[in-house]
Amino acid sequence: MSFWQRTLAILHKDLMAEWRTKERLSPMAFFSLLVLLVFNFSFELGGAALHEIGPGVLWSSFVFASLLGLSRSFADERENHSLDALLMAPGDRSAIYLGKMLGNLLFLLAVELISLPFFTLFFNLSPGWFLLPLLCVFFLGSACLSAAGTLFAAMSSNMRLRELLLPLLLLPMILPALISCVEATGLVLDNNWGENLYPHLKMLAVYATVFIALSLMLFEYAVEE
Amino acid sequence: MVNDDIVLEKASKNFASFVALRSVDLSIQRGQFTLLAGANGAGKSTLLRLAAGVSRPSSGRVLIAGEDPQRNSKARAAIGLLSHHTLLYDDLSAEENLSFFAQLYGLTDGTQRVEKALEEVGLLEHRRRRLRGFSRGMRQRLALARATLHRPAVLLLDEPFTGLDQPACAALSQRLLHVKNQGHTCMMVTHRVGEAATLADRLVVLRRGRICHDQPWQGSSQELVETCAPFLGTTTL
Repeated sequence: MSFWQRTLAILHKDLMAEWRTKERLSPMAFFSLLVLLVFNFSFELGGAALHEIGPGVLWSSFVFASLLGLSRSFADERENHSLDALLMAPGDRSAIYLGKMLGNLLFLLAVELISLPFFTLFFNLSPGWFLLPLLCVFFLGSACLSAAGTLFAAMSSNMRLRELLLPLLLLPMILPALISCVEATGLVLDNNWGENLYPHLKMLAVYATVFIALSLMLFEYAVEE
Repeated sequence: MVNDDIVLEKASKNFASFVALRSVDLSIQRGQFTLLAGANGAGKSTLLRLAAGVSRPSSGRVLIAGEDPQRNSKARAAIGLLSHHTLLYDDLSAEENLSFFAQLYGLTDGTQRVEKALEEVGLLEHRRRRLRGFSRGMRQRLALARATLHRPAVLLLDEPFTGLDQPACAALSQRLLHVKNQGHTCMMVTHRVGEAATLADRLVVLRRGRICHDQPWQGSSQELVETCAPFLGTTTL
């Protein structure tokens, strides 16, 4: 069985389990919307606030929502120790990482697409084609979060204080990508993206690529006790 | 050595300053059913995890069918593990669980094997039920089907009787006897040594990470309990 077939088998298993339980997507989406709602009432968002704090609010809600999903990404494997069975299967073990990472990416993208209409509503943002590059920022930003987050979720999955450790490990590491996400989102919302957006997208693409490559190499060691 | 399916050469395992296994040498011949006994913390499960390839030895080496399961991923296809944890997914049905592992092992006749495996453990009529609704005995039968689905040469058993009532233990023993008769090399870790009397043909006892007793075994359940009692500090089944 090829590396990609193993990856897709793990992704398919995760999606099937999530379709039945909704244990990850529902809390992530609700949490993201609640964060937007809380900021809306706290800062009376709209008008100028859209450009000053809008991108930061949006990405804060995505990061916190992703922490909820990431902390559950190895929960099924923890429940009956089925990670051992995955590790014993023949083939490259990094396929487990990639399958899990793609699952986390899809869940986070779904949450972002659900949150976007509420964000435009809370911030009095008129939807238009100028928002289209935002999808590219969402994709690359989510890839960065999923790439780093899945590795740290695997590392902390067997630890007693995993809920605490995951944000402590992930948040400092994700900071450079997060800054680019906020800057890029700000440029798109200002409808001023042009060539200014490109360096941020490049930075996000490089960050995601480096972290995916590193995680593929390190995953086997990260899940060992 | 050529006929040895499981070989540990001076295998040690440390967890920080704690030494779980100390330079263990062990060779298990093809088709042999070895009972690995020992008190809590003796290093039985650690040894089994090394043999399963899910953990690396701190020093020494482990060979399964002549290959290192850490370095040669194909060697891992020769291993099956039945644990007191099912290693299955509660939100998938019995059939989906087995099909998923059939995919991971790249079984070309996966559908037929899954059906046959479910039939053998008496779960064919429950194939579409999710595991969450299964009893402990049904889960363990399905776990055995998963462990043997890819027809491994080596079957590792880590406390397989835990949480089972007496009839379920007897049924599992019968299944394991069937597996043994098919020629699988088996290594079983259990506290309920009496259950293993009809299965085992070799007894290895670990104490503080070292092998302190290693002899061929043939005898009754009571004799096995009495033999193990001085090492385990108990006379219970």
